[in-house]
Amino acid sequence: MHNRYDAPIAFSPSTRNTCGLIPRPLRATCQAGSVNANASLPLAFDAPWIVLKFGGTSVATLERWRTILDLAADRRAQGARVLVVVSALAGVTDALKALCECAEAGRDGAVAEIMERHRRLAAQMGLARVEAMERWLASLQDLVRDAQPGQLAWQALVQAHGELLSSALGAAFMTANGLPTRWLDSREALLAREVPFLNERARVLSAQVQAEPDPAFTAGLARQGEVFIVPGFMARDNAGKTVLLGRGGTDTSAAYFGALLRAARVEIWTDVAGMFTADPRQVPGARLLQRLDYDEAQEIATTGAKVLHARCLSPCRRARVPLWVKDTQYPGLDGTVVAPQPAEAAPSVKAISSRRGITLVSMETSGMWQQVGFLADVFALFKQHGLSVDLIGSAETNVTVSLDPSENLLDSDVVAALAADLAKVCRVKVIAPCAAVTLVGRGMRSMLYRLSGVLAEFGRERVHLISQSSNNLNLTFVVDEGMLDGMLPRLHELLVRAGAMRTDDTSLFGPSWQSLYGTGAVRTRAPWWQAERARLLELAQSTPRYAYHLPTVRERAVALLGLRSIDRVYYAIKANPNPAIMRVIAQAGIGFECVSPGELDAARAIVEAHGTSLLFTPNFAPQGDYAYGLAQGAMVTLDNLHPLQHWPALFHDRDIALRVDLGRGLGHHDKVKTGGAGSKFGLPLDQLDGFLELARESHVRVVALHAHLGSGILDAAHWAQVCGQLASVAERISGVRSLNLGGGLGVPSHPGEAALDLAALDASLAEVKRAYPQYELWLEPGRWLAADAGVLLARVTQTKRKGALNYLGCDAGMHALIRPALYDAWHEIVNLSRIEVPADTLYQIVGPICESGDVLGNDRRLPASAEGDVLLIAQTGAYGEAMASHYNLRPLADSVAIE
Amino acid sequence: MNALRDPRHAKAFRFVRCAYADGVAELAYAFDDGPELVERISFPGVPALPAERRAAFNAALRLLHLVAGVSYYKAGIPGRIEVETGALDADAADLMDTLYRDGLAEFAYRNKLDLGARIAFPRAAARAGAATALCAPQPGLAPRTLVPIGGGKDSLVVVEALKRAGVQATATWIGASPLIAAVAARTGLPMLNIGRELSPILFEYNRMGAWNGHIPVTAINSAILACAAILYGCDAIAFANERSASAATLEYAGRQVNHQWSKGWAFEQAFAACLRAQVAADLDYFSLLRPYSELAVTRAFAESGVAYFDVFSSCNRNFRILGPKPFDRWCGQCPKCHFVFLALAPFMPKPRLLAIFGRNLLDDEMLAPGFDALVEYHDHKPFECVGEASEARAALATLAVRPEWREDALVARFREEIMPQLDAASLPMEAWLAPAGEHGVPERFRGALDAICGA
Repeated sequence: MHNRYDAPIAFSPSTRNTCGLIPRPLRATCQAGSVNANASLPLAFDAPWIVLKFGGTSVATLERWRTILDLAADRRAQGARVLVVVSALAGVTDALKALCECAEAGRDGAVAEIMERHRRLAAQMGLARVEAMERWLASLQDLVRDAQPGQLAWQALVQAHGELLSSALGAAFMTANGLPTRWLDSREALLAREVPFLNERARVLSAQVQAEPDPAFTAGLARQGEVFIVPGFMARDNAGKTVLLGRGGTDTSAAYFGALLRAARVEIWTDVAGMFTADPRQVPGARLLQRLDYDEAQEIATTGAKVLHARCLSPCRRARVPLWVKDTQYPGLDGTVVAPQPAEAAPSVKAISSRRGITLVSMETSGMWQQVGFLADVFALFKQHGLSVDLIGSAETNVTVSLDPSENLLDSDVVAALAADLAKVCRVKVIAPCAAVTLVGRGMRSMLYRLSGVLAEFGRERVHLISQSSNNLNLTFVVDEGMLDGMLPRLHELLVRAGAMRTDDTSLFGPSWQSLYGTGAVRTRAPWWQAERARLLELAQSTPRYAYHLPTVRERAVALLGLRSIDRVYYAIKANPNPAIMRVIAQAGIGFECVSPGELDAARAIVEAHGTSLLFTPNFAPQGDYAYGLAQGAMVTLDNLHPLQHWPALFHDRDIALRVDLGRGLGHHDKVKTGGAGSKFGLPLDQLDGFLELARESHVRVVALHAHLGSGILDAAHWAQVCGQLASVAERISGVRSLNLGGGLGVPSHPGEAALDLAALDASLAEVKRAYPQYELWLEPGRWLAADAGVLLARVTQTKRKGALNYLGCDAGMHALIRPALYDAWHEIVNLSRIEVPADTLYQIVGPICESGDVLGNDRRLPASAEGDVLLIAQTGAYGEAMASHYNLRPLADSVAIE
Repeated sequence: MNALRDPRHAKAFRFVRCAYADGVAELAYAFDDGPELVERISFPGVPALPAERRAAFNAALRLLHLVAGVSYYKAGIPGRIEVETGALDADAADLMDTLYRDGLAEFAYRNKLDLGARIAFPRAAARAGAATALCAPQPGLAPRTLVPIGGGKDSLVVVEALKRAGVQATATWIGASPLIAAVAARTGLPMLNIGRELSPILFEYNRMGAWNGHIPVTAINSAILACAAILYGCDAIAFANERSASAATLEYAGRQVNHQWSKGWAFEQAFAACLRAQVAADLDYFSLLRPYSELAVTRAFAESGVAYFDVFSSCNRNFRILGPKPFDRWCGQCPKCHFVFLALAPFMPKPRLLAIFGRNLLDDEMLAPGFDALVEYHDHKPFECVGEASEARAALATLAVRPEWREDALVARFREEIMPQLDAASLPMEAWLAPAGEHGVPERFRGALDAICGA
């Protein structure tokens, strides 16, 4: 018992610095060359403090400890006193937790493993017996010998040993390597505060500390030395017993010390560069947030981000101590700086996050809400059932509240019991599972007008509740959880496009997660046109003009034909029926998918020359079109009962394909979603039996089943889902040989956006194919084959300054390229004439058409441009020239294909 | 090489041969003189077959050959059946006649075919007075039970009941399915994944427009498991078919059509008797869930299946493809999804159920026709393995008075529109939760049987 922390002796000076190190005089010369020589200069008494925090993986190996040593020495060399806060070695806290819960028989083995692990690391660090660490190991053994498993205080003390051990080891290592480092027991400095209504478990295992700047403590510490190391995760309570700080406890410790010392900053060193604009696992294009104010950081940490625990922000905010998040692997990267609000920042959405598993309780009654105390009574019921309410939305006859996910909700009858009680006073409805999508950013209200396109994403779907708090920091939508899949990347992109998330402000927004940590799927290769600048400038003698790079088309075709799971590829020629492009594609062995007699005619010469196979997939076309398609030898796709009901003779004894609607649409814009009841395409599944009956009567054989759910899809798993669903439908139809998975393969446009992972697409389809080996799989991409190959060349016509905006006019407007106006599509725009000049002017790039929507790009940075300059609009090889018009009676853009 | 001809024009369906070597059983069939259709069943890591079990295995293999032929026969349904591996005795021929006729009843209904007169397995001349005798018990069958796992809730209820009763069991499944593999791994039991490869020619025939449709797959699985039991030396096969599986879906051309015919009590009895008579007198084949209703089984799953909530799926549309999200496992559109959702609802906290499915099917007005079909309102029972309409009604009636459910669109609709038309006496849930009716569960599995009802 004698060396337990809660025994009075624990506070005596004799055990406080138990590292087994005799503190060197501050002027002691450094030994190893690993530490900056400036460290030998004594620090002023009032030198600033820097707190460095390192997590479990950062203290688990010798290599990582060298990093800690270097960083601490560097900060010391910069003239700061340094306090290092460490977690337990990775995995040790879990092992100690398990030890607290495991049966007696397992405990000794677990302790032995922990001892072995620490001693092995000490040996690797070149340390002989580390006395201080040995003492903590011995005290851990004692604790386990006199185990009190039910006791929270005992559990806390056992778990605290992870940090006690790692910090003792660190003090020995840093001192031995020339940076005299004093060990300090953080329980001495941090006193847990009494929080009313806190249960015993929370009091002991997730205690809170009132950390305020304490000049006396700071001065006292300064007298003792220059570099300190402390165990994170723990504090003492009023009785002097050890308490823990809960999840993320070491971050919280660092924040407390930062406040206590009124440090120049707290640096949280971790495995990612900081906070991002979205969860990078869902949105690989999420951008690093380089600067946040405390409130924003708090909102982001609370609503989803895991990198910082929300609790570590308020101590820093109160003491106005900046908090830096830094990546140990990229120490040069700026990371995230959380600091007081910068005065001049423009409002911007900073982050978007989501939380799943939310349950809504909707309460409906007429006229009761105004009755005094009614709401109080209702909320009393929530309290009575132990449920904490998060979001609230209300109307005259309805109040809806949200409950955060908890095991309690899932495993007990608490919702049923609550509903039973509420049902006595109102009509109650339990809506779940929901998800909350939250936008965070200071000045949210001033950005609402920019969000219309973003809100459209929620579109016809069900938004159950919207909440916007008066602190003007967040906007939360509660929607059906099922909607959430794939939604965050789209919303993120829309926020950027709408100018609501000002990623063009590089002082706030850093690199994308994908470019920092991604696996190479980013568009790393320079686009072809960079190498062809001279030739393109030559071609720009006449503008607007499209230029198509045939080698790029060829390369894309080869990539698609390399997919092992795909048996046939058809090029949707509507994307670009340019004959040169079609010839390259046909030569590669890809068929054509046509949607009109005109397209069939355009394909005919090439089809005859190359024996290209044809799909004909018209939609709501007149009867004659189908007859024409059949006459051309194309496989005709039907997607409605009408043709077989009214023109059965036309299809008699024919093989046909059937396009079905699997009931949901995907895509980057409402107008390119082609699945779901709101779309005109596809036979709904509930009409399938009727269709097959008609087919049987007319001797029509359904040999292929087709679905196409949308365009611009970058999620590789999408086609496997379509394929699995199509296959399960096809199994019920005798005679189906092939599944046509449609196209929609996305082409990334924004910088940092990840390309569609073809290998992953192939692998996921291979899995479906193993389950359904009997079906051939077809793909019919359009844009994917052609988009990157094309650029639109235009010339600057006029410039204009209007208010704060610079307009750059060019001769290519929406008549030449309608995608920006029609789909809000984002195309990269560069000034080809001045490509070497820094892009420093923010332009609204517009065309010559008499429409306010004739905009090619908003807020684009280009070099200052002049009349006659050649602009290049990238990725316009698909749905560019094909959709061009004579609007305003301007001539059509022409095109040139180059090798 | 025989050119492929549309099997619908064939005169005869032939059972050509069956053989077993090195863990692979080959089952060969043909239409007329067309190419052989060879199905392969592969048994992984199989021990050498002891000589004393060879006769039993041969009998099981022959049975499998006959049963599995149904997949191919149905492509052409020719008027003549030829068994070239030796004539069947009267009992076996009767079993096969029944299996092909009743097991293909839904197929016949869907394709508007009349199978009645076509199916007649050739039988050896009856020897007067030769009663079917039990064959000898087979030495060397260990007390171990094969449990076929389908990825759905029912087999998991069996698994958990066997575990609780201390029965040694092996989680067994047939064919490649990542979803079932994930579920099987969750059981913590030893696993056996038997390979099954259909003849690719069958797909060719299908492309030519051969007849296609529902087959009695549980019968085929039963025969495969019988072979496995002898090969691996196990003395029991415990299926998970409920009482309601015996109920007919509809009547067509004077014949009962039951989508789940081979999961029914009639087939179980006949097949168990056949195994005892021809394969091994001490091989037990039974369904542990037979005396229970769907609702009782679902309640048992709600209580004992917590470990499987995030992996299991009963959906027929998606079940071969594994995905981490509820939408990957539950299509939400098919009758199986509807029924399992409805049947679980009375027995688990609402947020839990909604987390399993990822959405609330009972609050989606678009799904009204699907749930109407379940309760046989406006429609007949759907062709899927789902519970009886009265069970669905009882479940909905229960939800109609639960405050946390009653306002959901389809529950409110049931309460206001359908319930008043029903006989209130038929709605109580309690009646469904007690075991009832016949079953073939051996006495030694009593403990497991009782464990299901919570006892």
